[in-house]
Amino acid sequence: MTAASAPVRTRSLQPRRRPGLAAARLARLELRHNAMLWMLPVTIGLFWFISYRKIMAAPPLWYVRASAFQTYVVVGFIVPVVGAAAWMGSREARRHVADLITTSARPRWARLLVTWAATTTWALVGYLICLAVVYGVTAHQASWGGPLWWPAAVVAASLLAYSAIGFAAGTLLPHRLTAPVVAIVSFFAVVLSTELITGSQSYWQISPVVSGPWDAGQDPGIATFYPYVPDLSIAQVMLLGGLAVIALAALSLPASGRRVRAGAAIVAAAGMVAVATAVRLAGTGTLDSHGQIAIPALHDAATDRPIRFTPVCTRTAIPVCLNPAFAVYKPAVAAALAPVLSEIAGLPGAPVRIGQVAAAYKQGPHNSVGVGPAGLPVSGGEYHILLPDQIPNPPLTVQELAGQVRSSTGSQIIATFLDLGRGSSPAQQAVAAAMAAEARVSVPSMLAIASPPVPRGSSCVSRTAPCAVIMPPRLSTAAEKASRRFAALPSVTQHAWLVRHLSDLRAGRITLAQLP
Amino acid sequence: MNVQICKLTRRFGRALAVTGVDLQVDIGVFGLLGPNGAGKTSLLRMMATAVPPTSGTLRLLGRDPGVQRQRREIRRRLGYLPQHPGYYPGFTVTEFVEYFALLKEMPAARVPGAVATAVKRVGLADSSHARLRTLSGGMLRRAAIAQAIVNEPELLLLDEPTAGLDPEQRATFRALLRELGERATVIVSTHLVEDVGAACNKVALMDRGRIVFHGTPDDLSTRGAGNVIGDSPLERGYSAALAEARS
Repeated sequence: MTAASAPVRTRSLQPRRRPGLAAARLARLELRHNAMLWMLPVTIGLFWFISYRKIMAAPPLWYVRASAFQTYVVVGFIVPVVGAAAWMGSREARRHVADLITTSARPRWARLLVTWAATTTWALVGYLICLAVVYGVTAHQASWGGPLWWPAAVVAASLLAYSAIGFAAGTLLPHRLTAPVVAIVSFFAVVLSTELITGSQSYWQISPVVSGPWDAGQDPGIATFYPYVPDLSIAQVMLLGGLAVIALAALSLPASGRRVRAGAAIVAAAGMVAVATAVRLAGTGTLDSHGQIAIPALHDAATDRPIRFTPVCTRTAIPVCLNPAFAVYKPAVAAALAPVLSEIAGLPGAPVRIGQVAAAYKQGPHNSVGVGPAGLPVSGGEYHILLPDQIPNPPLTVQELAGQVRSSTGSQIIATFLDLGRGSSPAQQAVAAAMAAEARVSVPSMLAIASPPVPRGSSCVSRTAPCAVIMPPRLSTAAEKASRRFAALPSVTQHAWLVRHLSDLRAGRITLAQLP
Repeated sequence: MNVQICKLTRRFGRALAVTGVDLQVDIGVFGLLGPNGAGKTSLLRMMATAVPPTSGTLRLLGRDPGVQRQRREIRRRLGYLPQHPGYYPGFTVTEFVEYFALLKEMPAARVPGAVATAVKRVGLADSSHARLRTLSGGMLRRAAIAQAIVNEPELLLLDEPTAGLDPEQRATFRALLRELGERATVIVSTHLVEDVGAACNKVALMDRGRIVFHGTPDDLSTRGAGNVIGDSPLERGYSAALAEARS
């Protein structure tokens, strides 16, 4: 074909054209006839069946719920969204309308973008419904804090990327099997993307499934004691945005003019730069002391400052004070600690109050992470405790949490009170065991603190390497006998003896024979 | 001239579908006749800007379809009905026609009226809200014709438009063709000579990628004088012209 002469001027449709209105009408048609619309009930149903109940089983803490939501939705939405997008992308070829559509005036990329946008809109509508329910219920249940939007933004960006990748695959490889194949491959790619994470400094934590330190899990202290650090989320949004842009740029590859292809190449190059930068940034991330991934290039130092809060306290002889975000646990924690606190109340060196503190994290070798209370165990007469929920664990019910508080936190309080530790005397251990037994605290866990193979107040968390095995310690026969003898005394007698001899007992100057 | 073709050739791999075709067509209904595999569809697809020619010159509505901006202008003024148009089964007739009106970049405000008119012209007004999956083959064909004429094209290309239509619908469609041919260039590719006889002012006969006859339907009928193959003068002319070309 040649341009031998200038075009003949025929009646022009240009002046009357309103591209916005036409695009809106086209979008309305695409929205009405979109596979994602039909997948929406399935997607929301799957979310409710697989994810919703698990998310809601977690404590009503914003970070815990938001990060679980991110992980579950990123995994749960991938198959329907990628599948529907690929199905829509391959529609023209499957329905044999390619000739009809090719000869229409609207550019291919503009036409395809409208179809993609409609698919993505429905995916986002489904997502927003799920988000509204989870955040709405959490807002109703949570006693403190507010919604976290960065995890929500990562999910939204994931859906954009899923939709773009699926749509591009369907458009470029149109076949009936493209949709299921791409959906399944994408699912496994996302699910398996976390398998190579080792430690906090891993490129693989860029995976949108990762909502925090993958080895340590979700720390309820985030957004309660310390602000949420969005560094990793920013890198993830950058990656997903880059992937979406690359996939959409690929739509203009076949049957487009040189200019369009050049423009698409520039857009795709920008997307690749975003992806490479995001992955590189994720590789520089480190586990900070508050249990979050900090990326130096993106980090805002303001997020390192603790959040100011007024603790909620019990009105008991020794008040138990918790972060207001954990207020829901106050009655259970107070009831669990009551037997221990009633034993030591009024004694010299007894705590002025029990205060919940943030967890401190330290990356160990390989995938191990050390977690313990931040700061000193005791300061100004206040005993510092961590709730079991603050140590990476599977989510606990309130009853389970109370049981763990009684055994582990109760043990900690007695141990701190009697200055129990490495090198403590048999008499200290005997009295500690007697007090633990009376307070219904597990004696072996109590004694584990006296002969710890790991530092006091730490727990070893590892998904790949086993932690050191702790054999339950045992009292010597003589100490056990003395412990039973001490426990058999009336509490008034015990109390009076402790008032007189506590400082000597703590200093290790009391022998087993001197115990009453 | 709305269509100017000079030495147009199209090759698909080793196969030569269209070989050095010269053709000029202006306003009116133009019939493109020929046996299966003659190259009619390939020629029509090049005129529809669906595929570019391998060589030769093609100008449509005074523009060069090889230049992107001019191609877009051509497509705004083009109506095309492929041999196998395909459809979206979930769309209603109105939605299907509206969809293509919007793809043809018709002014949005004009679209609803134009869609209603096109649907009415093909006799589908009563089924305008029926989903395409519920329509018969003939009704689907008419819906496809409606999308081709919705933008009041200056160049209308129809590939086997009457396939699947019943006799009454074919008669109505021929009347529509004559009406459209008063203002636009309508090129109808068919192997049904009665369609050509009833609606076309000019006709070309293609065989093995070449145009072997170009004239009026009456000219073609005259060619058939004395030929025994065919039931009508036009069919006899068709057979005679083909036989002459192949001899």
